Amino acid sequence: MNKHVKVFLHRGFLFGGFGPVVMGIAYAVLEKTVLHFSLGGREVLAAILSTYLLAFVQAGASVFNQIESFSLPKALLCHLSLLYVAYIGCYLVNDWIPFEPVVLLIFTIVFLVIYFAVWLTVFLIVRSVGRRMSKKLQE
Amino acid sequence: MKCEIIVDRDCEERVVIYTREENTLVREIQQLLQRQTGELLGFQDREAVKLDPSDIYYITIVDGKVCAVCEQTTYVLKERLYTLEERLPRFFVKIHQSCLANLKKAERFDASIAGTLKIRFKNGDVDYVSRRQLKAVKERLGI
Repeated sequence: MNKHVKVFLHRGFLFGGFGPVVMGIAYAVLEKTVLHFSLGGREVLAAILSTYLLAFVQAGASVFNQIESFSLPKALLCHLSLLYVAYIGCYLVNDWIPFEPVVLLIFTIVFLVIYFAVWLTVFLIVRSVGRRMSKKLQE
Repeated sequence: MKCEIIVDRDCEERVVIYTREENTLVREIQQLLQRQTGELLGFQDREAVKLDPSDIYYITIVDGKVCAVCEQTTYVLKERLYTLEERLPRFFVKIHQSCLANLKKAERFDASIAGTLKIRFKNGDVDYVSRRQLKAVKERLGI
């Protein structure tokens, strides 16, 4: 098996369980705040499976960073695409958003804006640390 | 195994082992000597080579074997990574679970797209610094 696939699966299995935990916390909060909030068995099962898969993909997708043959835009695009498919799939399966073009478009825009904002913030912080460390190396 | 010690104040100090096969005892003697001298013994095609730690770019695990990556060649080491971490000079630092990097052979640190830090060595090889080890690496650099 390709070593990157192994890393993807390893990280996925390691952190996949966090998905249903976060979902459980969110549902617990909803139960306390929303009047007459209730879920059926099938809804709970779908939520557990889809959020597990979402966390699995989210954790595993970091492997794209380690594929040396991938250029930065390619690795970023693969990471973004995989997360987008996982997120939109999870939201649709759970009926958290309706399957309507306008809603999907708004979801996509919000997803892209948040993705790039988070990515840029983290990237700039890490780049700053890297530059300081590189400077120390030259000394 | 017979052992002979010759004391000669003018000679170059060296240990030669005549053996029918490379066994545990031979390896233990080798490791003991290495610990005393600070040198490492690398193996390539069953040939043992003395390695100066300054010549090693990084030490990593490849297919379960501890390997020292040098300018031209990669040597297999018989020691465990954690024992090497303890006895190597301070310019070696653990950058993640499976790699000890020689900071003197590091060219620069770059940010990666996933928000982790990459280390680029002077031979062009790239590895990553884990978040867990980042603090230790920064401290070693005096940050």
